[in-house]
Amino acid sequence: MSAEQDILQELAGREYEFGFETQIEMDIAPPGLNEDIIRFISAKKQEPEWLLEWRLKGYQLFQKLSMPTWQNFKLPEVDFQGVSYYAAPKNKVKYNSLDEVDPELLATFAKLGIPLEEQKMLSGVAVDAVFDSISVATTFKTQLHELGIIFCSFGEAVQEHPELVKKYLGTVVPQADNIYAALNSAVFSDGSFVYIPKGVRCPMELSTYFRINAKNTGQFERTLIIADEGSYVSYLEGCTAPMRDENQLHAAVVELIALDDSEIKYSTVQNWYPGDKDGKGGIYNFVTKRGICKGKNSKISWTQVETGSAITWKYPGVILQGDNSIGEFYSVAVTANKQVADTGTKMIHIGKNTKSRIISKGISAGHGHNTYRGQVKVGPNATNARNFTQCDSLLIGDRCGAHTFPYIESKNNTAMVEHEATTSKIGEDQVFYLNQRGIDNEQAVNMIVNGYAKEVLNQLPMEFAVEAQKLLSITLEGSVG
Amino acid sequence: MTTTTSNNISFAETLPALFTAQFGNAGWPGRKAALDRFQALGGIPTVKTEDWKYTNVVPYFKNGLSIALPATPSITAAQLEATGLLLPDTYRLVLVNGVLQQPLSILPPAAQVTVSKMSEAAALPAYTQYFNNSKKLEEHHFAQLNTALFNDGLFIEVKTKAQVEQPIHIIHLYHNNGNLLVNPRHLWVANEGSYAQLIESAAAFDLEGTVLVNSVTEAVVAERAQLSHYQLQTGGSKLRFINQTMVEQLGKSLYNNYTFTLSESDLVRNNLNISLDAERTETHLYGFYIASGSQLVDNHSSVDHRMPHCESNELYRGVMMDKATGVFNGKIYVHEDAQKTNAFQQNNNLVISPQANIYTKPQLEIFADDVKCSHGTTIGQVSEDALFYLKARGIGDAEARNMLVKAFAFDVTAQVKIPAVRKQVEQIASRYLSVATNN
Repeated sequence: MSAEQDILQELAGREYEFGFETQIEMDIAPPGLNEDIIRFISAKKQEPEWLLEWRLKGYQLFQKLSMPTWQNFKLPEVDFQGVSYYAAPKNKVKYNSLDEVDPELLATFAKLGIPLEEQKMLSGVAVDAVFDSISVATTFKTQLHELGIIFCSFGEAVQEHPELVKKYLGTVVPQADNIYAALNSAVFSDGSFVYIPKGVRCPMELSTYFRINAKNTGQFERTLIIADEGSYVSYLEGCTAPMRDENQLHAAVVELIALDDSEIKYSTVQNWYPGDKDGKGGIYNFVTKRGICKGKNSKISWTQVETGSAITWKYPGVILQGDNSIGEFYSVAVTANKQVADTGTKMIHIGKNTKSRIISKGISAGHGHNTYRGQVKVGPNATNARNFTQCDSLLIGDRCGAHTFPYIESKNNTAMVEHEATTSKIGEDQVFYLNQRGIDNEQAVNMIVNGYAKEVLNQLPMEFAVEAQKLLSITLEGSVG
Repeated sequence: MTTTTSNNISFAETLPALFTAQFGNAGWPGRKAALDRFQALGGIPTVKTEDWKYTNVVPYFKNGLSIALPATPSITAAQLEATGLLLPDTYRLVLVNGVLQQPLSILPPAAQVTVSKMSEAAALPAYTQYFNNSKKLEEHHFAQLNTALFNDGLFIEVKTKAQVEQPIHIIHLYHNNGNLLVNPRHLWVANEGSYAQLIESAAAFDLEGTVLVNSVTEAVVAERAQLSHYQLQTGGSKLRFINQTMVEQLGKSLYNNYTFTLSESDLVRNNLNISLDAERTETHLYGFYIASGSQLVDNHSSVDHRMPHCESNELYRGVMMDKATGVFNGKIYVHEDAQKTNAFQQNNNLVISPQANIYTKPQLEIFADDVKCSHGTTIGQVSEDALFYLKARGIGDAEARNMLVKAFAFDVTAQVKIPAVRKQVEQIASRYLSVATNN
């Protein structure tokens, strides 16, 4: 038992491994939110008139909407006027090769263990590195270009493929969806844009590394992924952020659109700064992610490993509109110290023979609170809809909490909906069993946790699975008793 | 005294005037406080209130509700028999609009059980100790409304170590000529080491108009006491129910609740709150509901594990027919000190018609680590394979369906320990089901 206590204390005292800050000159807008700032951002990015109007509409909605009150944690006051809404590396030249990229920037990526060069060479991953708000390096573009795949920064997409952006922007997450989505639509800085043409199977994992860097700049990415008929894409998103004392707001919007017979796989590993052991500092991760299976036989799959952020608040969902479409959600969320996670998914069954599967694994340690909040909705026309939900919680230490709020609504008698949830701690007998075989407490706990999360980790692409497992071990280092 | 609201004005608006007319400003100050609390909670909850998201009660508070009880009609033994609710070998307590009718009742022996009208119980020590004392009362809109407006109810105290072998059958009759809001208020105490079984049934009697029953039952199960509580929610379409049952359990006690909704009521909402206030308690909650037409059956339950070594077990099953709506919300709270808690919860729904709606939300909130908690919920229909199996053996479609639905209900009905109750439940249930499956 005392070993367990030690481990717990060690866990409580763990330091954020990726905490460092890069000194690069930034081009920063003055703090504050008003129409002028929005015009400034839009002008900086040389956006067309319709996009500026769209942003301004988002701003109007932002002013009208009120803060939600239903969440299962205390929403910290965010001073929207104290945030700077635009930050870009000053040196705005287009790089032809990595050699031209600011060496300090490259060093940052190196510290994160994601050297672009190496990834280029070894892993076959095309990396669109978002450093704060602007894309600075995009690789493998030519190869993707040959297949007709568009993978670029959002800003570029607006310039080069305005018709696609205009057609799909805001169709999955309407501007008025929630206050943070409205804010994002007003001030989004950059993000990624992916279009996979008809019948193309994207030959590599597309990946973007986000990194919040400049002080006081909330980051507002906007990601739009469109999979045209019969196409397939797997997209990875991973994040780490430097250590700091002020809370940072992160309100991204991700929209996925899957047309007939297409498939989108979206994986996230999130490891932003969670705050120190008293919960000071840390990122507020308030993200709106939603996909729509617009066409028949389409599939969208979300996988997320959430280990960072002071507050993680997101519900990646799927609207199953097309007949025979499939939505999946796999999640591992870890909260240690004073971290809070209120996450889950929404599966909206509209089309016939639609299927959804939800696997959520929550791990709470220290004073962490982990909430699963999910909705499964079966509409009157969703004949033969099928859902399976499993949400398990693992508790480590007696001051943490696990909460489950599943909303299940069915308006169709042919629907089959199943939900099950369990909450437990790591069994002493399990640890004892491993101890007997010469495995010490710490390793035993690690093995059990990894086994517990395996069902989700298995869904991640290889490169990510390794990182995710490492993150899980670090997050619960020596811990889980 | 016939204070009624007019059709145009909502009940909430006229409530202060109704209250003053009925109770004045004198009397027990708790009434006024509860009314203020009710108003502070926002009055009649709308669908924007989280706990009432799927249950819209606002229409039921529109058409000229009176809160003044009518004169009690005379009821003959034959008329009572005609309700079809009577159970053999039980003590019998008959209430009309929440008021105990001694002549029609068969009281349990006074040496074992004290039975009294609430209005006459105020001097009893158990009353002063427990009345209006339940935790979470103030969170419930309608509990507050009841506290403000209640007329009467039933006080039962099972004496220390009394073993009441015969069940006590409580028959609620509701009677009126217009539209009535009746607020029965009950307090049941099972003292240390006692054992009792309570059965509740309901029926309309000579009813014109409708009766909206907003009841609050406070129950206390003391150390080592065992209480079984059957709520057989019967009664015709003119009755609507909003029930609050607040149970407090002390050390090593056992409480079993059986909530069977087998009525034609448009609206049945049960708020069942169990507070486990001491160590080593055991709680079983069983529910079965059938709804047809455009009925709405809503079961909200919450179990608060406040102390270590407690066990709770909840199983609710529902069958939805026609355009009926079934709502289930089960909350389990495991507080920080409640280590070694075992809490289980399950809700299964069988949907028979294409237009039926199911909303279910099992909810776990856990603040202690050494616990075993789980919940499960399903929505499904009669399995085609099972149906085919039975048909292949020469059983007709309707009968086969009937059998499968009965099998679905069996897990719950089999838990009923009193044979007469079980028989009655099964009879009423199969009457409903045969209507549905033959259509």
